[in-house]
Amino acid sequence: MPVDLKADCIADSAGGLTFDLDVPRGHGTTWSAALVLRLRAGAGETVAAGPADDEVRLPLGPNGPGRLRAVLPSTVALAEGRWHAYADLGDGADPRRLLPGVNDLRSLVDRRPLAGIGRLGVRIPYATQRGNLALRSWLRGPHAEAGDILVAPGGITVTGRLYGAGPAAGAQAEARSRQAGQEPVTVPLAVEGPDFRFTLPCAELAARWRRGSEPWDLWLRPGAGAPPVRIARLLDDVPDKEQVFSYPAVPVPAAGGELRVGPYYTLDNDLAVRVSGPLGAE
Amino acid sequence: MHISFLMHHAYGAGETVRATFALAGALAERHDVEIVSVLRHRAAPALDLGPRVALRHLVDLREHAPAADRTDPAHARPSRVFPAAEPGSGPYSELTDRRIAQYLRRTAADVVVGTRPGLTVHVARQTRRGPLRAGQEPLCLAAHGRELRLALRGAYPRLDALITGTEADARAYRRGMRLPGVRIAAVPRAVPAPRLAPADGSGRWVVAAGRLVRERRFDVLVRAFAAVAAERPDWRLRIYGSGPERAALRELIGQLGLYNHVFLMGPARPLEPEWAKGALAVDPAGPEATGTALAGALRCGLPAVATDCPYAAGETVEDGVTGRLVPPGDPAALAAALLALTGDGAARRRMGAAARAAAAARFDPAEVAGRHADLFAALLARRRGSGLRASLHHARGALIGGGYATKYATGLAVRAAVRGVRTV
Repeated sequence: MPVDLKADCIADSAGGLTFDLDVPRGHGTTWSAALVLRLRAGAGETVAAGPADDEVRLPLGPNGPGRLRAVLPSTVALAEGRWHAYADLGDGADPRRLLPGVNDLRSLVDRRPLAGIGRLGVRIPYATQRGNLALRSWLRGPHAEAGDILVAPGGITVTGRLYGAGPAAGAQAEARSRQAGQEPVTVPLAVEGPDFRFTLPCAELAARWRRGSEPWDLWLRPGAGAPPVRIARLLDDVPDKEQVFSYPAVPVPAAGGELRVGPYYTLDNDLAVRVSGPLGAE
Repeated sequence: MHISFLMHHAYGAGETVRATFALAGALAERHDVEIVSVLRHRAAPALDLGPRVALRHLVDLREHAPAADRTDPAHARPSRVFPAAEPGSGPYSELTDRRIAQYLRRTAADVVVGTRPGLTVHVARQTRRGPLRAGQEPLCLAAHGRELRLALRGAYPRLDALITGTEADARAYRRGMRLPGVRIAAVPRAVPAPRLAPADGSGRWVVAAGRLVRERRFDVLVRAFAAVAAERPDWRLRIYGSGPERAALRELIGQLGLYNHVFLMGPARPLEPEWAKGALAVDPAGPEATGTALAGALRCGLPAVATDCPYAAGETVEDGVTGRLVPPGDPAALAAALLALTGDGAARRRMGAAARAAAAARFDPAEVAGRHADLFAALLARRRGSGLRASLHHARGALIGGGYATKYATGLAVRAAVRGVRTV
């Protein structure tokens, strides 16, 4: 009967991860042992990268008696998505799914990289619903990190910090509807060094509401004509933000009844605003 | 000594399993230790038991188990020994009765330990003459309803030892139950050393953990934290756990405008890595709460602010040394203690170091195992030294217990008669 293989995981503040596991009883260490990460294609999505980029093998070398270690440096780029972790013990058997051991992610908690960083790699280890070890990965440059969000009757104020780009004249925030035929709502950006702040007027989004629950994705344009940057919350140890970072919604009076406008994080931890219709009419 | 622990389900990942594995592993350094799991749902235990402790099961409920226990008709009939009022009684049946009785009749152990009240009843009633009969109280007497207490009164006089987690609970058993001849001793639960570096206290995070139920009073903590966030906006609070109060707490956080400062993190297992991210631990439990996760926080080097409740953190935190104790249900007092410690880095460092040392001395499995071994050895020696007196004690205990037991058994006999079966 195969014994469960658990990996302890330690994160460093630069975004690197170290995996430590016990050598299973009855196994020697072989030169070809590796920790294997495989990109999982989500439902309905295709892996954009080439087939060579959806598997990463990290050498699993001895680290003291009975222990094995693999290192994922911050310099190894991992495509955005969910990566499942396996151990290939070099014994010719199929790689075995790893279970999470102790994840020491304290250096991720209040992570603040240098604002000048060109491309930001974020990897957060977590346990899947079935209890297996996986990594959530983001690779972004430039990146707009959301911080505190204030929800008030007048509007939703978002503060944050821009990485990999300097805000210039004409910088603005954009809310883009996922519905067809809606023009983006833009607001000017207040900037102090890399830190930004903007207030999205709830009434303006509510005025565009047509039916049901309408999400608006939030983007940031660092300067006039610059390519837009998605606003997201990535720099901590929480793999799924939506349940943890939860915000109230503002009631906005409208013709058909009261609408509710509130910010939330998407499944990819990107920031969005939801405009929903009167209760019962959704 | 040969020590045998009778567990509900050693293949799960709950706190009792964690504590019992830690204790068994430490005892196994010097003794023969086995864990007998009444139930088995999984191929391998979820937690590491270590190579020295033997593990076996009595009833196999795995889907593709070699034994047909799942479909055994005896498993559909209710247990006659495990008290129905025990919250864990669900999976107990005539089949578990039979298998547990068999094990307790044949055991070669010197000491048999029940790890929850229902199993301690089995140990008290069914263990063959010879081994010490011991029970561990995983919660406290105050947590048990009237009917369960009645059942325990019927059986516990036949025990040699009852081990509680706190002195307060030991006093409650001595006061509230008539258990002559039963040695009632308080020994804290084993909490292993964290498998990661202690908290460095550099962050600005307050951490709490527990089930989100009313008696844990996280609402008091959220209200108290409003004062902390107003005065020290760089400090934030994480609450780990799940439970029925989640929606109400979320609502309260929204009402107080604390959604950038107070976060409901959901369940985390193990908790140590989450404590290690914090600078201060907190337990706002109300007086009716039982148990606390704070021992793990202290072992990680966090000072703690807790309510002074006898069955929660009252004996875990030493006021002014390893943290602060405040009266339960008082947001202002809790806020004052949180403000005092969030504003004093030197006190946090001093108390954090003291917490780590005190928790290692009190909760380390080696220490806890030593206290168990001493207790068992003393009881075995007393029994060998004065066999007559011990057996007299036992007879008296059995007689007194018998009175209650008769009352309890009458109900069982009536129910059994209705079902047309013979009582034991």
